Amino acid sequence: MFKKKVTLKILLLLIASDILETAVHFFFKKSTLVFSQGQVTDLATMLVFLKVVFSSAFLWAGLLTVVAVFIIWSMILSKIDLSVAVPIASFSYILVPLVSIIFLHEQITALRWIGVFFVILGVIFVSLSSKERTEQAK
Amino acid sequence: MKQGLLLVLFLIALTSLCDTINQLFLKSAIDSLNFTPTLNIIKIFKFIFQLVSKPRLWVGLVFSLISLCVWLVVLSKADLNFAFSADSMHYIFIALASRFVLKEKMGTWRWLGTGLIVVGIVFVSLS
Repeated sequence: MFKKKVTLKILLLLIASDILETAVHFFFKKSTLVFSQGQVTDLATMLVFLKVVFSSAFLWAGLLTVVAVFIIWSMILSKIDLSVAVPIASFSYILVPLVSIIFLHEQITALRWIGVFFVILGVIFVSLSSKERTEQAK
Repeated sequence: MKQGLLLVLFLIALTSLCDTINQLFLKSAIDSLNFTPTLNIIKIFKFIFQLVSKPRLWVGLVFSLISLCVWLVVLSKADLNFAFSADSMHYIFIALASRFVLKEKMGTWRWLGTGLIVVGIVFVSLS
């Protein structure tokens, strides 16, 4: 039977997947900035939009990173529950504010700190729930 | 303006739903393989090769592609903060799908943790 505990190896894989996932968002956002013909309102503009976006180098860099994320994510899912892996992967919401403070010297609002605290608490709860389950499964 | 907001919310729900379906197919394909995480590159490639030869993985990838296209449209229409905060509904879809489709045992702590993450993300994204 599978062991579903969140080990250090799994945690490192989750961090790697999170960092690459952030890079994916960055590349994809960059690729949409290429489109300057205004709002996408109908199917015809959407096709033009997709054509412009798919000819951007950023989109392809993003897709390449997606492949790397896919491989790492598959390794993670081979060991732990989907309902554990997905919530734990949300700690990019913690990493991004921390990086913003340390490297970009940004001011973080009180509400955002509360949000970060909630996410941390949530990740801890979900991780512990996975441990409990392993013990139950003998 | 109000109608635009509803459309964006609908598109975000659509992209979340498609991604959840993709994750379900992926998880089911992986579970059928019995792989253990390793740093051995050859074993990883063998695993990925076995994985991509599962037809259900490709069904999932089609949904993933739809999800990506819709997400690109969302990014072009909506403010990034708003898009991310609304995308936190993804965690609820994943929890429900894991519980009812994959029959994973959620437990009180996991539901509570998932709920806290959703609230936390809304706070982080909107502030």
